[in-house]
Amino acid sequence: MNSATTHIVDDDPAVRDALQWLLRSRAVPSQTWESAERFLAVATRDLSGCLLLDVRMPAINGIELFDRLRALHCRLPVIFLTGHGDVPMAVQALKDGAFDFIEKPYDDNALVDKVLAAIEHDAKRCARDGTILMLRQKLATLTQREHEVMQRILAGKLNKVIADELNIAMRTVEVHRSHIFEKMQVRSAVELSQVLGVLGDAQDY
Amino acid sequence: MKSPTPPPFAERFSRSRWLWILSRLPFILFVSGVALLLWMSDRADREERRTTLISDVLWLEQNLRFHLTRNEELLGRIDLAHTASAKGFESFARTLFGFESGLRQLIWLDVEGNIRQAHPTTMDPDLAGEAAAGLPSRQSFRLAQSLGKPVYSSAYPFFTDDWQFEVHVPVSREGRIVGVAVGIYRIRDILGDSVPWWLAERYRISIIGDAGKVLGARSKIASEVTEEGYQVSFDPPGWGLALHAVPYHAPRPLASMVLSTTLVVLAMMVLWNFWALRRHVLRRQAVEEQLRQEHAFRKAMEDSLDTGMRARNLDGEIIYVNPAFCRMVGLPATELIGRRPPMPYWADDYLDETQTIHDRVLAGDGPVEGFELKFKRRTGEVIDVLIHEAPLIDAHGQHSGWMGSMVDITERKQAEERARQQQDRLQSTARLVAMGEMASSIAHELNQPLAAISSYCTAAVNLLRNRAPATEVLPALDKAVEQARRAGRVVRRIYSLARRSENRFELLHLEERVDAALSLIEADVRRTGIRITLDLRAPILVEGDPVLLEQALFNILRNAIESMRNTAFDQRLISIKLACADGYALLTIADRGCGIDAGVADKLFDPLFTTKPEGMGMGLAICRSVMENHRGRLTFEGNPGGGTVFHILLPMAQQ
Repeated sequence: MNSATTHIVDDDPAVRDALQWLLRSRAVPSQTWESAERFLAVATRDLSGCLLLDVRMPAINGIELFDRLRALHCRLPVIFLTGHGDVPMAVQALKDGAFDFIEKPYDDNALVDKVLAAIEHDAKRCARDGTILMLRQKLATLTQREHEVMQRILAGKLNKVIADELNIAMRTVEVHRSHIFEKMQVRSAVELSQVLGVLGDAQDY
Repeated sequence: MKSPTPPPFAERFSRSRWLWILSRLPFILFVSGVALLLWMSDRADREERRTTLISDVLWLEQNLRFHLTRNEELLGRIDLAHTASAKGFESFARTLFGFESGLRQLIWLDVEGNIRQAHPTTMDPDLAGEAAAGLPSRQSFRLAQSLGKPVYSSAYPFFTDDWQFEVHVPVSREGRIVGVAVGIYRIRDILGDSVPWWLAERYRISIIGDAGKVLGARSKIASEVTEEGYQVSFDPPGWGLALHAVPYHAPRPLASMVLSTTLVVLAMMVLWNFWALRRHVLRRQAVEEQLRQEHAFRKAMEDSLDTGMRARNLDGEIIYVNPAFCRMVGLPATELIGRRPPMPYWADDYLDETQTIHDRVLAGDGPVEGFELKFKRRTGEVIDVLIHEAPLIDAHGQHSGWMGSMVDITERKQAEERARQQQDRLQSTARLVAMGEMASSIAHELNQPLAAISSYCTAAVNLLRNRAPATEVLPALDKAVEQARRAGRVVRRIYSLARRSENRFELLHLEERVDAALSLIEADVRRTGIRITLDLRAPILVEGDPVLLEQALFNILRNAIESMRNTAFDQRLISIKLACADGYALLTIADRGCGIDAGVADKLFDPLFTTKPEGMGMGLAICRSVMENHRGRLTFEGNPGGGTVFHILLPMAQQ
């Protein structure tokens, strides 16, 4: 299931089937679900690809399913299929983090293009998620002292200054530095700064 | 409210008291005058009786004196012929006794005082008084001899209950006294002999001696003496005697009795009358006071009412209004009382209706359960009132008019109207929502197969572009066909839904349907003040569904009413005309509304087209479809005088 798949959730079998045909004609792998419940049963945070979701469905409708997925931390990009009257609802969903919505009647190839865009977006997200995961693992191997030294290196301070601030010997700072570079698999302070930049400013490292 | 306040009770009371005293004064004067008169007449009467008494007593005294004096003279004339023999003396005595003057015995004494002759001779042995000194009295004898004049002795008792006295008359012959003739009087006999019967009838006459001792009396035992009598000295004949007369209680004269009794009775009657009158007046005052209080109570009650009260006499003239009614119509009572219809407070637009109901009430045919009317205030504001009329029965049980009570129900009516409008809006909104819901549901139903078709076809195109084999493409196209059929089924279902209500055609009178439609819009017509003229000449039979026709007519009429929202009141008119020609019935409905713009005219019958903010755009579309269903036509044109005319053309039923 880790390969990128387009999940189609629609209560109308004809529409499901037609969408699957459409995606298959553009070589996009897809899987159909006849109701929100069925999809929720298999949904995990590991899913990749995208989700084509009909807004109007009996029992759990599209918006509700979207909310539940977010609660499950499933970050699959969602494209809503809406009828004429459902537009405001879809706009709200978009604000809440949906990938896109497309109004019936739709241009089918445009829909496929959106699906492809969503898959690519999800792939990027997955890759970034992988990098960040690795970085966090590397950061986790640093000792408390090494963390303190690394923060000062990133702030562009010289070894001498760092030694003064931490009240340790200059030589010790140099040892810490080489350990940090080794653990983070970088060769210079500039490279370290670039790697950690992926995490973003808000990340606490 | 500005009724003259009655003077304070105390003041009224004192005034009536003053009147009361004033009216009593003559009465008091009258009674005291009568009493004075009676007293005076009584006194005069008494005086007169007293005078009579005195003169009678004096007369009696004179009479007695005369008898005594005559007897003296006769005794003085006694001579020898008489004294010589007892026989002669007896005849002389009998002569004297014959005068009946109370003389009872004669004695002849010689100069020595010896009894020579006596008649009657019998002497009672137990004589009292001077008899003790010998009879006759020596003292008187000597006195008479020495004086040579007649001398009376004092009275002395004779037997137990009688008194007598003597008269000694010296008889002289040739200048020498030869003897003394003694006459003995008995007092009882004096009274019995010399007092005449008429005097004895009137008085009790007695002779009183020394120290007031009654020596003898002549009296009727039965009668009572009433007042003090009169006493006159009877001295010269006797010693210390007095004549006393006491009048008997004489019956008063009848006339005077009648007069005084009448006066007293009359005075009593006047007094009783007066008392009765006073009691009557007092009772009347009490009743009056009660009445006044009752009146004040009722007036306060009427004034505090919120319900307007208005009384009319049998001619319809207003005879009474209460303050609430004045407030209601904004006119003072003075401007209302005495008015005849049409009343100043009748609403101008409803004069005929009001007059009709007014006449019905006066004819005794008014609605018992009350009725609603429109009145106007002085300001011209029209108000709704609920009126109940009841016959006015006066104190004699006569039906004298009608009493009406009025309640202002304007606010209630307005509230009802607002509620109704609100209800209308709600219903219309609900209809819109329902319709939107239905349209949305239909759209979804159709969207699904259409979306599927589109997707299948796009897939087929994509595959063909990539030079895929036909066998790979065909299933997609088959499925697309299947979805197209599905869409067709949806459309057919909607159709059948729309045609679900089957037309029930029957023979019907078109004008009756017009009436029915008019009754549906009656409330709106009244509210907006629109006039409707009807020209439904002949009954026209058509074949059709009564409910659908009614609905169509209702839609057109309601459009007409709404189009006149901004038309002046007096211009608001809907004229409905029904005619027939060439086997067709032509119904014309003309209004004076805002008319139809040229740009709108083309789309007027399109479904969902509307010029009204709350409209659905279905009304005229339905009308047109109903008319076409009935093999008729619905057209419209501008009204030359402004507004729109709708023509409905329907084939008449084949007879």
